[in-house]
Amino acid sequence: MEADKDNANPTIINPSDLPSRRRSAPTAKRAGLFDALTPAYPSLVDASSSPEPSPSEASLSSDEETEDIDEQEVYDLISTISDPEHPLSLGSLGVVKLEDIAILPPTSPRSRISTVTVLVTPTTSACSLTTVIGLGVKVRLVNALPPRFRIDVRIKPGTSGTAGEVNKQLGDKERVAAAMENKSLLNVVNNMLATCE
Amino acid sequence: MSRLTHLATCTPPCNTRTWLSAPHPYLPLLATACADKSVRVYSLRDFRLESTISGGHKRSIRSCAWKSSAGKGESVLGTGSFDASAGIWRRWEGGGGGSGGKGGGEGEVDFTTGLAGGGGGDGVDGDDGEDEWRFAVILDGHDSEIKSLAFAPSAPLLATCSRDKSVWIWEELEDDNFETVAVLQEHEGDVKCVAWHPTEEVLASGSYDDNVRLWREDVDDWACCALLAGHEGTVWLGQFEDGNGIYALGSQEALGREQRAYVDLRLKAGARLMSCSDDMTIRVWRRVPREKPELPAGQVRTASIWRNRDFEEEWVEEARLPQVHERPVYCVSWSRKTGRVASTGSDGKIVVYEERWRSAVDVKNGDGDGDVSMAGDNAGPDMEDITAKKLHGSDGHKGGVTEWTVVAEIDNAHDVFEVNHVIWAPRADKGKRFEGEEVLVSTGDDGEVKIWTFDT
Repeated sequence: MEADKDNANPTIINPSDLPSRRRSAPTAKRAGLFDALTPAYPSLVDASSSPEPSPSEASLSSDEETEDIDEQEVYDLISTISDPEHPLSLGSLGVVKLEDIAILPPTSPRSRISTVTVLVTPTTSACSLTTVIGLGVKVRLVNALPPRFRIDVRIKPGTSGTAGEVNKQLGDKERVAAAMENKSLLNVVNNMLATCE
Repeated sequence: MSRLTHLATCTPPCNTRTWLSAPHPYLPLLATACADKSVRVYSLRDFRLESTISGGHKRSIRSCAWKSSAGKGESVLGTGSFDASAGIWRRWEGGGGGSGGKGGGEGEVDFTTGLAGGGGGDGVDGDDGEDEWRFAVILDGHDSEIKSLAFAPSAPLLATCSRDKSVWIWEELEDDNFETVAVLQEHEGDVKCVAWHPTEEVLASGSYDDNVRLWREDVDDWACCALLAGHEGTVWLGQFEDGNGIYALGSQEALGREQRAYVDLRLKAGARLMSCSDDMTIRVWRRVPREKPELPAGQVRTASIWRNRDFEEEWVEEARLPQVHERPVYCVSWSRKTGRVASTGSDGKIVVYEERWRSAVDVKNGDGDGDVSMAGDNAGPDMEDITAKKLHGSDGHKGGVTEWTVVAEIDNAHDVFEVNHVIWAPRADKGKRFEGEEVLVSTGDDGEVKIWTFDT
């Protein structure tokens, strides 16, 4: 059951063999929570004018994109992230795979929240690098996807002995937020994301 | 079914994530901790920004708390930041806010000799809105981000907690001097929150290690007196109920024997604690009061053995609130006035619960949970045993004498964003309907602080 965790010579997949879409739908650039600069949420309309919560710009445009965001879209967003160790993308290394991405629609008619689950297959048994890879995927998706998505990044079961610890860290929003205020960690993640569009 | 209605959104909103809002102990003000390293102080009268506190921290402010025992006329706010330090800010409230508060001309000169920061003028001339916040003290010591802080209600103590797995207790001495009194390191993961008991010097802490711990002074040293284990995920927040919480259940007349026994138990046990977690549950914990054995006449209680045994406390999980949330629950707020509980979390819902006596019919039938069914009103000695079982509750807590029900629920409280915090606050705007009315204040990832009225 324990796969060989030492991965000094990772299997590299040819980029043209990676799953992709014929047409490329541009993903709207959106200021994310983890931008190094203060993210610019559009200031909402004066609250005293309406008793109901006014729909923000974010949710208006996200309604238009409801059709567009599927597993392939998510894959396209993260497959180009660079691995911190090897000068290759997470897609080429098989760290992220299309079949390990799942999108769950809202659980009830009143909810507008969808959940994206990404299972990450680490190339290494080193816990800290695995966490950084997971963090890179999470930050990329939080910044690129509309805020109606909850993003769960987890280590694929069976691929790492420290999966539980890593999963708990990645799932802790406070820890992730604090990590993104840490300059050196921010640099590592930014380098990983530099190869994304 | 009751309703939550959106009353207002504090303006202008923050353009970064807001983590938490704290209502002032007696003024109609709200302090909101923001990721842009500032605290925004909003007015609960008109929901406008009244002042901003900034410049003291290098990273997000995660938490802020008012000192409720500050002398009238002065506001003291503590801020806890991801930069691992806590700040203490003071402002003289002149004559503006409180009713008939005296101006600063009473020889309070020491407060005007401010330390660095907080800008120039320390206007103590009593004109409201002109007084500046003064950065009085910075408390260093934690190794990593501070997650929460809380002032004790009846002692000059401050508790802070951090990702470094420790809880620090500081004692406030004269002249902005805070002395570290304890560094408590028994949690195995980040400590997410701290909360003081309303009437005793007992502190609760919730942690990334899924546990809640209670801390108390044992002779001269602070130590852990209880471990509340059971949650299956990070405990984000714990809060005690009001010391007189039992009265929220209503009149004490016309109570059955079992209910009276429960009331006595609650009075002996003291305030209960409520905790919420990543595991999506909200649990109520109650102390098991220790039965001190009677000593034979003439015998003096010996010191050491009894003391150690007396120090540790036993707490049990009394109940779980009905599960409504579908993702981690970040916050619960237990109203000191009404006993109602509000909760919120990652799923963006706000839910309100009330506790009430379980109806007599259920009690008589024993709820089918395996306990001995009660036959009418037979008040034999067996009653005590049955009562004890029911009061402890079974796994599903079906045997409880009281039950919690959902009375209001709202989805998408902050549009699609996560809601980080919710708290009851006294209503102070023009639309206030009755004395003692409360509103609910929610704080979200969208940078907004929203005010909700609760209509029964």
